[in-house]
Amino acid sequence: MEEILDPIILGQLLIGGLLAGALYALLASGLNLVFGVMRVINIAHAEFMLVGAFGAYVLYTAFGLHPLLALFIVVPAVFGFGWFVQHALVERVVGQPMLTSLLATYGLSIVLLNIGVLIFTSDFKGVPALTGSLVFGEFVLPKPRAVAALVSIVFAVGVYLFLERTRLGKAVRAVSEHPHVATICGIDTKRIRMLTFGLAGAMAGAAGTMLSMIYSFAPESGADFIQKCFAIIVIGGMGNFAGALYGGILLGVVEAFVGGFLSTQWAEATAYLLLVLVLLIRPTGLKGAALAR
Amino acid sequence: MSQALLDIRGLETAYGAVQVLFGVDMEVHAGEIVAIIGPNGAGKSTVIKSVIGLAPARAGTITFNGRDITREAPHHIPALGIGYVPQGRIVFARMTVEDNLEMGAFLIKDNAKRRQAVEAVFAQFPRLHERRSQLAGSLSGGEQQMLAIGRALMLDPKLVILDEPSLGLSPKYVDLIFEQLVGLKKQGRTLLMVEQNAARALELSDRAYALELGRNRFTGKGAELLANPDVRRMYLGGYGVRTGSAG
Ligand SMILES: Nc1ncnc2c1ncn2[C@@H]1O[C@H](COP(=O)(O)OP(=O)(O)OP(=O)(O)O)[C@@H](O)[C@H]1O
Ligand SMILES: [Mg+2]
Repeated sequence: MEEILDPIILGQLLIGGLLAGALYALLASGLNLVFGVMRVINIAHAEFMLVGAFGAYVLYTAFGLHPLLALFIVVPAVFGFGWFVQHALVERVVGQPMLTSLLATYGLSIVLLNIGVLIFTSDFKGVPALTGSLVFGEFVLPKPRAVAALVSIVFAVGVYLFLERTRLGKAVRAVSEHPHVATICGIDTKRIRMLTFGLAGAMAGAAGTMLSMIYSFAPESGADFIQKCFAIIVIGGMGNFAGALYGGILLGVVEAFVGGFLSTQWAEATAYLLLVLVLLIRPTGLKGAALAR
Repeated sequence: MSQALLDIRGLETAYGAVQVLFGVDMEVHAGEIVAIIGPNGAGKSTVIKSVIGLAPARAGTITFNGRDITREAPHHIPALGIGYVPQGRIVFARMTVEDNLEMGAFLIKDNAKRRQAVEAVFAQFPRLHERRSQLAGSLSGGEQQMLAIGRALMLDPKLVILDEPSLGLSPKYVDLIFEQLVGLKKQGRTLLMVEQNAARALELSDRAYALELGRNRFTGKGAELLANPDVRRMYLGGYGVRTGSAG
């Protein structure tokens, strides 16, 4: 027991948790952005992440492109893919009962998963582009994790600032609050929804590109992530972008400590235990749900 | 008679299978204040929503400034010179006062010009200026209504359409809002408004339309309707009348 209360071990767990949490935060905030703007839960969100991961894998194995450079290709590509999916599929189920959009995006996730299996088989892949560790005194940061966390934070904060500060970003928030009133301000809500889905896709694609350096992944790997994302957006507050950022970091840290103190099996269940705990204390999540409408 | 700024002819509108308007006619001339009165569910808001494209017309025509806007998409409406203040003083509650106004000027892409437009409305509503960085959700009801009006003025519209601007406000704010409406007319704007406060609306307006079950019922000068015994009995006889002017 003394060993576990060693400040160095605690610090190491905290660092590991923050690094993992940053990636969760990036992934979940995209999902929450889409939910906030169009009240659609995109079950295929983790598959968008895997599109990014496999994109990075192909670029690395075929052209030797480092994932950090692959971001410049993958992120715009997944943005465009998200834009297209909104136009071709999701736009048809906006405003429909939740079950309709759940089924539509569930269908999309199955299609994407099977295309993934056709092209890449179900074997696990990885992109070992970055190795080694950064050492700060007693603490060790594996380089790929540190870089992934940094990139995640940059992306998430970038999108946050876009939403808070820019004309288009504010329009996204306006549409999420009152689409009809936003329309009558001259905002083309369909374009805003395509932009939103594209952005969420880009965020998932960036998360996937970073993930490819850290974990091994297969087309079926989405399920784990989407479940955690569901827990995170409820923990943070449904539809609340910043809430998902806090929720993601919180889950990363708590998972790390649970894994460190108990076992990795318990770490798997952490998301749900945390979810129940947060909802008992604050039924609308940490930052409050955006469900005024 | 000169051509109307807004001309509604034979307007029929339905929500899904439920038809709500059955051939409504209305004219609004430049510089007028026109009121729409009528009981709950008469279709007053629906007339407005048809004009701005939120509840597209099934039949009939709507002409604004000589242009057929019957099938115009709602996001094209503000650029034509129509400002809209929705029923229930809907503001973007999780955005600041300033950002709410900025959304009213969304179509101005140039940041500096958009900022200028915001400042111009702040000059007109000092109260909003004081609260510029507060969240709109934290304002009082009257302040939110002012914000909704300010937002509708951002693109300097010819015609301002207001849906129940005084609904649910304290008497002090009702007076203030009606003063603002007179001010808008003095600025040379044309106003079309729905009001449940029929007595005050009729006093203020040049002309008025009384709707019932989706049809025109009475039409005339505000003062004429106010003096009409049938109108008084049906629309001023207690329901919705908040001031003493209904007698
Ligand atoms: N979105 C909608 N879907 C279906 N029916 C609607 C919708 N909006 C209004 N209605 C119905 O259309 C009719 C007219 O509604 P409308 O809102 O135009 O009335 P109103 O005269 O503005 O009434 P109020 O004084 O209550 O605002 C009502 O019977 C209402 O129930
Ligand atoms: Mg109404």
